[in-house]
Amino acid sequence: MPDSPARGMRLGICGPVGTGKSSIIATLCRELSGSVDLAVITNDIYTDEDARFLRSAGVLDPDRIVGVQTGACPHTAIRDDITANLLTAEDLDAQFHPELILMESGGDNLTATFSPALVDRQIFVLDVAGGGDVARKGGPGIERADLLVINKTDLAPYVGVDAAQMVDDATTARDGRTVVALSKNDSAAVAELVSWVRHELDHFNTGTLVPVDPGPMAAHAHTARAASVAHAHGEHVHTH
Amino acid sequence: MGSSDLFVMLLADSRLPVGGFTQSGQLEPAMASGLTSADVPAFCRARLRTVTLVEAATAVVTAAGAAPGAVEAEWAARTPSDAMRATSRTLARGLLRLAVRVWPEAGLPTLLRGVRPDAPPAGQLATSRAVVLGAIAAHVGIDPVRLARLIAYDDVQTVVAAALKLAPLDPADATGWVVELMPDMDELADQVAGLTDPRTMPAPSAPQLELWAQQHALTTRRLFSA
Repeated sequence: MPDSPARGMRLGICGPVGTGKSSIIATLCRELSGSVDLAVITNDIYTDEDARFLRSAGVLDPDRIVGVQTGACPHTAIRDDITANLLTAEDLDAQFHPELILMESGGDNLTATFSPALVDRQIFVLDVAGGGDVARKGGPGIERADLLVINKTDLAPYVGVDAAQMVDDATTARDGRTVVALSKNDSAAVAELVSWVRHELDHFNTGTLVPVDPGPMAAHAHTARAASVAHAHGEHVHTH
Repeated sequence: MGSSDLFVMLLADSRLPVGGFTQSGQLEPAMASGLTSADVPAFCRARLRTVTLVEAATAVVTAAGAAPGAVEAEWAARTPSDAMRATSRTLARGLLRLAVRVWPEAGLPTLLRGVRPDAPPAGQLATSRAVVLGAIAAHVGIDPVRLARLIAYDDVQTVVAAALKLAPLDPADATGWVVELMPDMDELADQVAGLTDPRTMPAPSAPQLELWAQQHALTTRRLFSA
């Protein structure tokens, strides 16, 4: 994937509309911008609202926040034709040499995940207000994104959702992969998220991080899943 | 290598990963300023006689072996909207990125050296999409008539596909428009297929399309990049 070995790590953030993707990016910018050189790409569905929200949050130089229009195809832009996002990432690399590019997908459905040719790691975001059963329903992002965030846990009592149960469901669906129960007002949870990002960034900087595809398809069994992940690794190494 | 017809199909296919789905060919700003879906065929026809004609001529003379830098300059002189030039050069980067992976043996970066579109510093000459398409066509053996038809067809399909997103339409009606416009596509192809000298490329004017392109580049509410 990399055109230049010196490019920054690309961290994708996807999930349904309104779950808090932009807010998580703002949080990461606030927490990391003092120590990590950052840039942000938003995939705006209809307005440049997300890019403007982040610019107005004042956490990053506005020139380092770029919106990409996706022609009403937010899913396509992160999965089957990643050209517009790749070119934007390359531009940001050339202009600012950021250590980390945060890439926000346009809010989409539960099946939308980033191509491993576009991002090195990805976070899938749900929120408690979207319904306590969503984590249990699963899907590629929920089950196999590198990190699942269950956001707005502070709202759980008001929307009649058992946040702890939702995290348990998610952990089961994810076969042990990391889940962070987040509220932007919960400093311990924010620290947990930031620590995960730093850990992945350190891994990327060693040059040994291999992107993992959450895949669009449900795995039939654990062994099949492991085999398909290994295959994706091999393919990636081979083609790039 | 496959037959040239297959390469035409490949390059005309909306599934080709070059970011085509981000484009409306100025239809989005046109509809925002009052055009209706009934105007779409006429809108396409206007494009075929102006901006698309220039695109096709540009690709044809490039494929005929004209120096890419000279072609690019003639194209830019016929594309007065900087928003349109920027869009074309962005699409060109996506196309070249793909072409370098698919046809590494073609030496496209060398051929297009000096007009190379991948991240040129601000103000430096960059390559338009038509120049890259022309270079690819020369490599895979697409003849001038087919190349011009490809560009005409792709342009119409880009607009019509965008129309389906922008307006309440029956996709079968929209496909009917594409078929209805085929004689216009053929006419365009006949007009440019024999060109070899970039200085003789047609230079039609489309100020309304240019104005829409300029306006769209500044709006904050849009589905399509251009």
